[in-house]
Amino acid sequence: MQPDLNEARRRFLANAANGVGMLALASLFQQEGLLASPAQAAALPPAQATDPLTPRAPHFAPKAERCIFIYLEGAPSQIDLFDPKPKLRELHGQKLPESFTKEVRFAFIQKESATILGSPREFKRYGKCGMELADLMPHLGSCADDIALIRSMHTDQFNHHPGQLLMNTGFATLGRPAAGAWLTYGLGSASQNLPGYVVLSAGRGTSGGASNWSSGFLPTSYQGVLFRNQGDPVLNLSNPDGLSVDLQRKSLDTLRELNQERLGRIGDPEIATRIAAYELAFRMQAAAPELMDLSQEPKHILEMYGVGRDEKGFSGPRGGGAGTFNQFSTNCLLARRLVERGVRFVNLFHASWDHHSNLDTELAFCTQMSDQPVAALIKDLKQRGLLDTTLVVWASEFGRTPLGENRRGSKPNTGRDHHPFAFSLWMAGGGIKGGQVIGETDEIGWNVTKDPVHIHDLHATILHLFGMDHTRLTYRFQGRDFRLTDVAGKVVKQLIS
Amino acid sequence: MRFRLSHRVVLGSTALAGLCFGTVAATAKSPDAVATRRSTLPPALARPVTFEKEVLPLLKQRCFACHSGSQRQGGLRLDRREALLQGGDSGAALVPGKSAESLLVQYVAGLEPGKIMPPAGKRLTPAEIGLLRAWIDQGAAWQGGQGSGVGGRASDQVEQTHWAFVAPTLPAVPKVRARAWVKNPIDAFVLASLEKEGIRPSPYASRPTLIRRLSMDLTGLPPTPREVEAFVTDRSPDAYEKVVDRLLASPHFGERWGRHWLDLARYADSDGYEKDLARPYAYLYRDWVIQAFNRDMPFDQFTVEQLAGDLLPNATLDQKIATGFHRNTLKNREGGVDQEEDRVKNTVDRVSTTGTAWLGLTVACAECHTHKYDPITQREFYGIYAFFNSVDEVDVPAPTPAELEAYRKAREKFDREHAGLQANLKTFEQDELPARLAAWEQRVAAEKPKLPASIGEVLNLPSDKRSAAQKQELAQHFRSVDPEYGKLAKAVEDHLKKAPARPARIAMTLAERPEPRPTHIHLRGDFLRKGAAVEPHTLAVLPALSTASAPTANARTSGATPAPVRPTRLDLARWIASPENPLTARVAVNRTWQYLFGRGLVATPNDFGTRGDRPSHPELLDYLAVAFATGAGGQGTGAGGRGSGARGRGSEAGGGVTTAPIVSPNPMDEWVNGVPGEQDGYGLADRGGAREKGAGGSLNLRTAAASDSRGSGYALRNTNYGGTSPLAPRPSPLPQGLSWSTKKLIKLIVMSATYQQSSRSRPDLEERDPKNILLARQSRFRVEAEVVRDLYLAASGLLNPEIGGPSIRPPLPADIAALGYANSVKWAESKGAERYKRGMYIFYQRTVPYPMLSTFDAPDSNTACTRRERSNTPLQALTLLNDPVFMEAAQALGKRVLKEGPDDAAGRVDYAFRLCLGRAPSNSEAARLLALHADMLQSFRKAPAAAKKFAGAGASAEGAAEQAAWTAVARIILNLDEFVTRE
Repeated sequence: MQPDLNEARRRFLANAANGVGMLALASLFQQEGLLASPAQAAALPPAQATDPLTPRAPHFAPKAERCIFIYLEGAPSQIDLFDPKPKLRELHGQKLPESFTKEVRFAFIQKESATILGSPREFKRYGKCGMELADLMPHLGSCADDIALIRSMHTDQFNHHPGQLLMNTGFATLGRPAAGAWLTYGLGSASQNLPGYVVLSAGRGTSGGASNWSSGFLPTSYQGVLFRNQGDPVLNLSNPDGLSVDLQRKSLDTLRELNQERLGRIGDPEIATRIAAYELAFRMQAAAPELMDLSQEPKHILEMYGVGRDEKGFSGPRGGGAGTFNQFSTNCLLARRLVERGVRFVNLFHASWDHHSNLDTELAFCTQMSDQPVAALIKDLKQRGLLDTTLVVWASEFGRTPLGENRRGSKPNTGRDHHPFAFSLWMAGGGIKGGQVIGETDEIGWNVTKDPVHIHDLHATILHLFGMDHTRLTYRFQGRDFRLTDVAGKVVKQLIS
Repeated sequence: MRFRLSHRVVLGSTALAGLCFGTVAATAKSPDAVATRRSTLPPALARPVTFEKEVLPLLKQRCFACHSGSQRQGGLRLDRREALLQGGDSGAALVPGKSAESLLVQYVAGLEPGKIMPPAGKRLTPAEIGLLRAWIDQGAAWQGGQGSGVGGRASDQVEQTHWAFVAPTLPAVPKVRARAWVKNPIDAFVLASLEKEGIRPSPYASRPTLIRRLSMDLTGLPPTPREVEAFVTDRSPDAYEKVVDRLLASPHFGERWGRHWLDLARYADSDGYEKDLARPYAYLYRDWVIQAFNRDMPFDQFTVEQLAGDLLPNATLDQKIATGFHRNTLKNREGGVDQEEDRVKNTVDRVSTTGTAWLGLTVACAECHTHKYDPITQREFYGIYAFFNSVDEVDVPAPTPAELEAYRKAREKFDREHAGLQANLKTFEQDELPARLAAWEQRVAAEKPKLPASIGEVLNLPSDKRSAAQKQELAQHFRSVDPEYGKLAKAVEDHLKKAPARPARIAMTLAERPEPRPTHIHLRGDFLRKGAAVEPHTLAVLPALSTASAPTANARTSGATPAPVRPTRLDLARWIASPENPLTARVAVNRTWQYLFGRGLVATPNDFGTRGDRPSHPELLDYLAVAFATGAGGQGTGAGGRGSGARGRGSEAGGGVTTAPIVSPNPMDEWVNGVPGEQDGYGLADRGGAREKGAGGSLNLRTAAASDSRGSGYALRNTNYGGTSPLAPRPSPLPQGLSWSTKKLIKLIVMSATYQQSSRSRPDLEERDPKNILLARQSRFRVEAEVVRDLYLAASGLLNPEIGGPSIRPPLPADIAALGYANSVKWAESKGAERYKRGMYIFYQRTVPYPMLSTFDAPDSNTACTRRERSNTPLQALTLLNDPVFMEAAQALGKRVLKEGPDDAAGRVDYAFRLCLGRAPSNSEAARLLALHADMLQSFRKAPAAAKKFAGAGASAEGAAEQAAWTAVARIILNLDEFVTRE
């Protein structure tokens, strides 16, 4: 829908050399308080049209305006969190009939000797809807009436990186734009001073690295911008040592004047775009630290998210290491602050959910880390009236097997292998009908038996919530119109309020 | 690609809702069921049937809409007999004589649930099915002889007349009115279309702009002030050409154009995916590419060596390294990966990358199904796949000569020492051991220590009664206890551990397996669902493939006679690199054009198919393509050598004009006089000329003879770029044949008036030609990521110009490196001069790309990139303003200006401008920078500590403020839009 960005800018400032472009630029500065002459700018089209992140209208009326996508890398065990299977306890230690495993490929399980692993978790009913969730997530339980739980997810991939790519970009291959990139490409961003697509990561890195928030073949303006946990929140945000804000401003004023002079001579509207980019960079230098500064947040909010918590009582080697609890809590709070400031798409990442062994202790660690802040995020958005228009998604790349893992060389039957055929995730806010469970799996959680939802369907639904027809949000690349949903995807109507 | 099988299992097993252990979901197709259903087929007509009068009309009416010509749903066409026999994605459509077993009959009869043909509309009647059955049972005769099509092949016409599939022929150079503007045939083509539109070309760019443009385009580095000065003051008629020749001969040329090629090669320094292990010697391929461009290796040879260098007779190490092109594929080393799946994925990538890079076709679209728009069937996709399906990834030792020599020396020394130690042992065994054994025996007899039972037994025997075996056992035992022997033996053993290590350098190459892997169509792209077997073959729409020993064997058309010789990857490479291939030269020429104008003559460099853009100047494209591929290139003689050929010297004697003199006495006025001259014809004097017209009449600004409108008057100077042996001239059909020389092609283009135009925006074109398709001006664009860095390093004097070698790691914050999986990315910062090598040498870690590269749109190196994006973002601004590498360049430039520039501030601003932009500042530019300098100086004088920090290492206490102020000025010049822009 926007095949050539430079071209769009050029067309917009088509008359730059005649001076109209200069006026448009003037209006840009005027809008930014750098010049003040509303009369001059009044007759002109909005100057932000030079900015690829300028908000754009969706295909139809949207329910969601922004998205917080919480990604728990590694595949949390749905059987121990979301999808109770008492039958597994009955069958614990037994082999699965060949009819189940015959044509299935596993990552690590030795098929011949694998046995069923019952879950030690107790499930309780939460909320008016009576949603069953494991005892590891009492906080989330208190939000049950706001969330829609999907127990019938399935995917095509059973290795981590391809699986992550499919969940984040709609393709199992590298080089495709992430959902956040697609959304900002389609809709722009309401944020004036911050990027449209922001990424926050806690703990160790994900196996997909930056490919999980790549803009792929889309222009880099739509790439997720990683906000860091240490040093500058955005790489190279701070002025060089010794340069005050005042001197930075003076420098940029000179730079702008020189660029303007060039623009006047050469007439290339790309120069106007560059001037605008430097001004946004300057604003970001102030806005990003302000965003990260939590000193103005009241104590009860910090406590609600668990900012400042540590990992007392958990000495496990996994889970991201010391400081992860605090980092994840902080990121959840920052996510709220980001969407408050108009950012279109926020990705929270946390790796370490790949529990091939020691599942009980490690899953306890991970849920202890995430349960409170994630629930706090939902409640906080709700109390600020933001939840209705903010979509929150909690997802991973696939699920885990009902079989215990028995790979050679590791402690047998204390964990589960990768399972692409059935897994769970949940969504809340942004037009999602809360308090419902979608889909069912069979008695051992092997296969989906009702209302299967493929990742493409999930993506189609997310775009739909944003007022976008997933078949119409396209980008021409390598001779083909690409979509987030490849050649598939069905909107899951049931999810929508 | 997809995990479809399991997907099906999921849905198939949903019937198991009741957890009925032991029940297997019924498979769709059991042999019995099919046999039963076959018995329900309508009977074959019991009379002879005629193909032409009965069968063909039926097929035409009911099937051809989807299965003829370029319409090949499911990879199947029914308008040719061999195509029917060969079948589509599901296999052969019919078996002559066996109608019940023929898929055609089974599908039209609806035997396979969900696979009823035709899929919509009326079903075939039992009588019609009976007709088809009878025809098949009677041998499926095809009037008009085997192999011919039906219906006059009308359906083929669309695909075969698509412009890109028709071999280019040399077009006549068009006649133009403003002949004076034409410097070479390129201009005639461009001008002809401009004149049709009534648009004038733009005036020439000024000399400073031209030399900066040329330097950036050909080497990716800015011109030095001295180079600019020399060019500006050079009054000789070939001043411009001299610059072109100098830059083409620069070793940095190979870096610049090599990096373009690396975009296509999806070059990276790590595996990709979760583990993303480093590939420490991937650079050997990169070095090969740089050298190939520097030596101007003919493009056909360049092609063959990369696709099949290993198969050339007596392949050299370099030719093997060249095959590293297809080792740049990703590698997934995640624990649970299916190795075969990964191999298949890489093979698919090799096919699609080859298609993109050389043929400009979206071959990859045919992986899962027959191409929707272009004449590429799924079978043909796997035909090309078959060429790559039989490669092994082989790492071969590739020591440098020095390493090899050092190893050889170390090894010799080691062997000598080792031999000495072994000799000591042997001497001891022969000379001393028997006596010591005897002494030991006596001692044992006296002392009776505890011994192994068998030894005790031997000792109990008198020595002459002991068998040979017993003697040996005893000797063996003694060796193990004798301390003297042990010492010598240990010396030998210890020494082994000191053996010198073989040089670690390896080259990643491809090698052919002795036995080819069988290739099958992957149904729906799923490698677990094997369809029909496929032999290596190429696209039917392109010229036939010839094999080395059987020139006519083409598996694709082998319906009648099976191909006697299996074509090899080398045959494929030669087929691609052949002048007969209508795509290869066009695609290469188009990309070259794109790098020199910012936009290709075909705007979709990756897609020359029916869905791609049509060329803006089709005749120019063909002219260049024919010229490029004419004259013997590197594989003409078949000896793997460079061949021989005319190298465009045809008309040198004819006094053809090479360049017009460009005279621009004060090029700094370039941006002062903004209006093209209005005089004679188009009056396209360059800026200086326009200015001087009044003074000295018209300067010699035009080509004297120019083109005679046929191009025969044009010749390139016959420069031998390669530094290889001179070539024996041989008559060539084209005087201007470029013999696949990339340097000659580039020279031809940059010598044109079209290239030398100003890039200034033109109000008269903003509406009419906003994309500059008609080329009435040059383009203006931000340079690529790597070149952004190079410009900074060069202007500031930090650049380490060393060419080639291992990749480097500039500073990177630790938390960025830690984004890789579980800290698997080891980013050991490069030290010393290494740090300042060019951008193309930055280690490319696929999961954690160096942020600056991504920010400036460097390709992600996962797929071939034919055209980079050029975004313009705040993150770029932050990088250039604040990144330590760029800040260091600003500090260095500040110092450089103070050290090398004149003593006055105005002179320093002027010098800094010339270093960065190749021109002097305007009065107002200078005034603004001087004001900034004064302002900064004042502020920094008040804040000496800040000044010291800002000026960076080495700033003296008293000089800090001055140095900081110049750093600030330098930083702003380095952040100008113009600085990172090629105008």
